Amino acid sequence: MIQARELRVRAGTRTLLEGVNFDVREREFVAVLGPNGAGKTTLLRAIAGTGHFEGGTLRVGGRPIESLRANERARTIAYMASDDAFAENMCVRDVVAMGRYSFHRWWQWHEEPRDREAVDAALRAVGMEPFADRAFPTLSTGERQRIWLALGLAQEAPLLLLDEPTSHLDIRVGHEILELLRHRVAAGKTVVCALHDLNEAAAYADRIMLLGCGRMLAFDPPELLLRSPLLEDAYGIPMEAVAAPSGILRVFPRVTNRRSRCSS
Amino acid sequence: MAARLAGLALVALLAMLVGLLVGGVPLPLATVLAALAHPHALGDAGTIVWAIRLPRVCVAATVGASLAISGALLQGMLRNPIVDPYLTGVSAGAAAAIAICVVLGVTLALLPAIGFAAGIATALVVAALARRGTGIDVNRLILAGISLSALFSAVIAIVLTRAQASGYASAILSWLAGSMAGRGWHELAFALPYALGGLLLALLAVPALNALRLGDTRAAAIGVDVGRAQWTILAAASLLTASAVSLSGMVGFVGLIVPHIARRVVGSDARRLIAASVLLGAALTVLADAAARTLFAPAELPVGVLLAFIGVPAFLYLYLRGGRQFA
Repeated sequence: MIQARELRVRAGTRTLLEGVNFDVREREFVAVLGPNGAGKTTLLRAIAGTGHFEGGTLRVGGRPIESLRANERARTIAYMASDDAFAENMCVRDVVAMGRYSFHRWWQWHEEPRDREAVDAALRAVGMEPFADRAFPTLSTGERQRIWLALGLAQEAPLLLLDEPTSHLDIRVGHEILELLRHRVAAGKTVVCALHDLNEAAAYADRIMLLGCGRMLAFDPPELLLRSPLLEDAYGIPMEAVAAPSGILRVFPRVTNRRSRCSS
Repeated sequence: MAARLAGLALVALLAMLVGLLVGGVPLPLATVLAALAHPHALGDAGTIVWAIRLPRVCVAATVGASLAISGALLQGMLRNPIVDPYLTGVSAGAAAAIAICVVLGVTLALLPAIGFAAGIATALVVAALARRGTGIDVNRLILAGISLSALFSAVIAIVLTRAQASGYASAILSWLAGSMAGRGWHELAFALPYALGGLLLALLAVPALNALRLGDTRAAAIGVDVGRAQWTILAAASLLTASAVSLSGMVGFVGLIVPHIARRVVGSDARRLIAASVLLGAALTVLADAAARTLFAPAELPVGVLLAFIGVPAFLYLYLRGGRQFA
């Protein structure tokens, strides 16, 4: 689905990503992990075609990303950025219906029956059908996150890119969002998702891509990566991995000087 | 919503009728309607309606509609409710060029064309300064527009101090204050094609303008070519503003206030917002022009001044009453 070779992204004189090589298969759930500033958002933007890259090649669905026109891109990739948008004076349904933009020519200003079906299906998939007529600004953070996801689903693109969809969400809503994504993968989509929580990534992803200092340090299944010393290198703190009773691996920072921290 | 748009269309039609009814010579409604129905009939009423009032009403409607669409486009693109069409520097450039030409003794008939050309030239400079990558940097656009407007205001001030001695100052001031006195079919025939070109570009940009409400990043993600959309919107706004300025000089507040009122009536969906802005902009300007030429008849108030006196308190009242949802 995605193929990156020697990908390099710069901002002015600063290198944001360098020498990144990977293949993401179809129907795979990939979590992108790494400390703040590791290049997660930069990588997602490059794959989404909304950010530039200076070197290397990046193919999505077999085609170089830069050769896709804006509407072709939107039908191939649904990118859900992390920045909050205002969507002032818009109702929930209108926000989700924006996902159908790439299916319309400039003179087609109104919804077709096919658009209505796609928007209804997207709202249903994220469990937000009863909210369709609500004003977007009245929604909670978790509800908004679901609506952004519904907007992406309404694009009917095979690849979903999400930038930290669970940040600012409580533990239940965060897991509901990831559960939803898992279902989308089962339904045939490919998901690439930047996350901060290592254990969320381990619980839901097929493979985890670990970024650090603008490089790809590892791209492995969770059970391999969470035991890897690379994780400690990337975050710069000691970690310990333990298997939960369910068998899923969990990883935590190893706090060695807890008492002294508290007393200070 | 269709009913509200129909209501606004009715308001615009009634405003135009009022514009035809009022003036120095009182004409009853039946006479005006009869004159409209028989354009080739001879007589004073026919001449007043067809040669004086109708062209003036059409000029006012074109100016109001153009400025209102331009304001709605720029406010939408920049996601900034306090933006008005003069942000692009079009009006200041046009006014400076006209002021210089008046002092140089250029014939009055050429002023609309000169104003239009100077306005478009200024918009091109602002666009060049605001360009970043394939699109427009919003902050640079605002800064470039404000800076060039300030520069041209200084030019106008210098020209005005010179013009006072030579007696040209009143001609320049009438452009600066905005007026439709003496404008007719000839001026309209010059400006209307550009205004229609601007309207066509605005219609091309309507779906993208709607998507830009989600922010540039999300708009790009759903398939908007953000750079192309920004250039289309800026070109449309510049053409519309330059057409309006070439017809009437600097008529203020329409481009700022009308999109706000339109948004309040039909919501922020660009499909309805543009239509509502056309109708409300035309209605408000036609009524203001009718008032400008009758309140102190035979003297005429500059319509821009009148709009400021009526429009600003009305706007503030609506804004403060509407609270957050209005913004």
